Amino acid sequence: MKRSIATGVALVALCALAGISLAADPTATPALTPAPAKPAQASSDNLPLVPPAKPGVFTATKMGSDQFHLVVAGHKFTTQSDIEKYLTYRAAELTMEQKASWFTFVESRTKADTAPVPQRDPAGLRYSFRMEYFRPVWRYKTSSSPVWKSWSPFAGAAFITDGPKIITDFEVSADIVLHKGQMDDVNPLAFEAGAVSDLLINQVSPPE
Amino acid sequence: MKMSRALLAFAAATALTCSAALPAAADTWTRGFVVSAYEYAFRYGGRPDFTRGGEIEPGVDCPRGSTTHFANPDQTRIALARQKWRSQQDIDWIAAPPGLDQVRDPGQVRRYIWRRALAYRGYKRGIETYTNPWAADDPGQPQVTSRIADGLNLDGNVGPNDFVSPGGEKGVDNALYRAWGCDAPWRGNGNAPYALAVRDSMLFGLYTMVLRVSGNQDPMNDSDATVEIGYSPDKIVRDSRGGIAADYSYRILKSTQYTKLKAKITNGAVETEHVEHLHMPRIAYVYHMTGDMDLTKGKMRLDIAHDGLSGTGLIGGYKNWRDLYAEAAFVNDGGGLDVTRYEDHVALYFALRRNADGMYNEMTGQYDGISTAFRIKMSSAFVVDPDKPMEIPIVAGEQWRMKGTEANKAAFIKGAKTRIPQNPPPGVSQTAAFPTLERAMKDLPSRDFFLTLDRPHWPDGVGVDTYGNPIDDDGDRIDSRGNKLDERGNPLTPPQPQHQVSNGAPATVATGQER
Repeated sequence: MKRSIATGVALVALCALAGISLAADPTATPALTPAPAKPAQASSDNLPLVPPAKPGVFTATKMGSDQFHLVVAGHKFTTQSDIEKYLTYRAAELTMEQKASWFTFVESRTKADTAPVPQRDPAGLRYSFRMEYFRPVWRYKTSSSPVWKSWSPFAGAAFITDGPKIITDFEVSADIVLHKGQMDDVNPLAFEAGAVSDLLINQVSPPE
Repeated sequence: MKMSRALLAFAAATALTCSAALPAAADTWTRGFVVSAYEYAFRYGGRPDFTRGGEIEPGVDCPRGSTTHFANPDQTRIALARQKWRSQQDIDWIAAPPGLDQVRDPGQVRRYIWRRALAYRGYKRGIETYTNPWAADDPGQPQVTSRIADGLNLDGNVGPNDFVSPGGEKGVDNALYRAWGCDAPWRGNGNAPYALAVRDSMLFGLYTMVLRVSGNQDPMNDSDATVEIGYSPDKIVRDSRGGIAADYSYRILKSTQYTKLKAKITNGAVETEHVEHLHMPRIAYVYHMTGDMDLTKGKMRLDIAHDGLSGTGLIGGYKNWRDLYAEAAFVNDGGGLDVTRYEDHVALYFALRRNADGMYNEMTGQYDGISTAFRIKMSSAFVVDPDKPMEIPIVAGEQWRMKGTEANKAAFIKGAKTRIPQNPPPGVSQTAAFPTLERAMKDLPSRDFFLTLDRPHWPDGVGVDTYGNPIDDDGDRIDSRGNKLDERGNPLTPPQPQHQVSNGAPATVATGQER
């Protein structure tokens, strides 16, 4: 009996003490702030990955409050893909320079164009970018003629058939509209600037 | 019986005495809870009787059902075709490996092959994709289209992309649900595979999360209450039916996974303040996923039953989306989850980035956080302070895996920041199914082709196998001197010279005896 009473006293005392100490817990501390993961930094990490373009290679003309006309020009044709990727990269960089986060590509179509118009698909997959829909228009001269010729990706014709070796001048152009805030990822012509830049930064260099 | 009655009577009398002696403590109250279920607050939109038969049940959340990445060879072919550097034959052979029916476990070998190939989806060969998802083409992700979601209003605004709660509250911020809510293993009507895995892991002792609610007015109505949430080193006590046994005691550690918040309680509904950082145990189903959740501008809303025996809750905040990607993908190498659960962590990376909506970074002009909510269920418990301060215990045998995971996370963040592709660090088990694939496809007729696929290379003794044992560049287990071992760690004995075996008596001896 004595042992039971002693145990009871101890239990009740403990409970009472615990109750008091929990109600006014002097040891409680504010939330700790853990150190976030910090990747190691090397000086070489900050080197520019894309060489600077020579004057006149890239131009951006403001067409309205948020719209730009972009042109990449050169004399030495390499491949369609290389040159269009460079223009796409510059579009992404311009978007971020203007403090926007994504852009839409404005297709330059005529009534005669036959290429299908990309459709919105609200229930389908969402993308940060669809590279196949960045389709700029080309203008070029060949060694056999001083007249500018043009090629549109929407006309249904094969890409420049004159042969790359005889191209002496080219201009690749695109119109884009800059946007801030939540990206319209249902729009097949929407491109998230950061994601596009990340993908292309190690792949592109300015044409000559 | 008499002793018990005497004890009770004495205890009651003493308690009354204590109460009378300490009037200030009379109105203080404390309720403790142990968390029994912990999942992302993704609101399932399919049929309520969904039993996971087809795994892609459409619903108002996801009109085309759950993700189907890598669910079949056609899906894998689509993913591989995004790499322009692959030949059509490579794509066809990877999607449907020739001679697969001649191996012991064709399904497993195919998954290992896919895992290896899918780990290299960069803009050029040799870039490990799960460490460098930013260097890949966005594979696309089905996203939630519903406007209704569970969650909390984290920014105090009603934005155009905010959800409406099932109860009609506007301005719910849960962009993670939009980005990830159609992902097959997290989607379900309380039966999502990963949600069940998290619950089971908690029940079987991987980690324990506890809450303590206290105040000085009334447990159901208190304008000056306190909520504490944190890690407990005590394993959950289950009852005979496998549920949570009520009213056991759990210590709460005031560690890196602990937060104390002010709260108001109205009719049992607990609403906490916002805190700049809400630390609590991270959602996990394996040890190397565990750690601090760290939600920015976090808050909680709890509903406590009138009897105080149970409760539910929502915990919200902005989570660093890069951390979230790493914590989700590096459960192993990313690919292992993708080919078995039909998700794609590369698609997730882009979806997180695209839907990021908080923690604005002035330097980059981009959001580093994504609004997030977690759903919890909790059972009554005694939540007490430890006798003396203690740290969260570590599992020594799993530290190599934890370090590998952290190293992979650091490499990923460095690559994403510098945009220089990083090699997957050594110490990460199963990167690109190495060396598991080498061992699994020994009988595959087309084995030599698959050995040419990209994979990580480390110096001998630096890479590890599934169990953390050092291996060489062939994937064979080796000892500290570089000697090859078998899979059980026994030295490989050099081949012995063959002995001549004959059943007949030696002819020469017999001849001698005859003489």
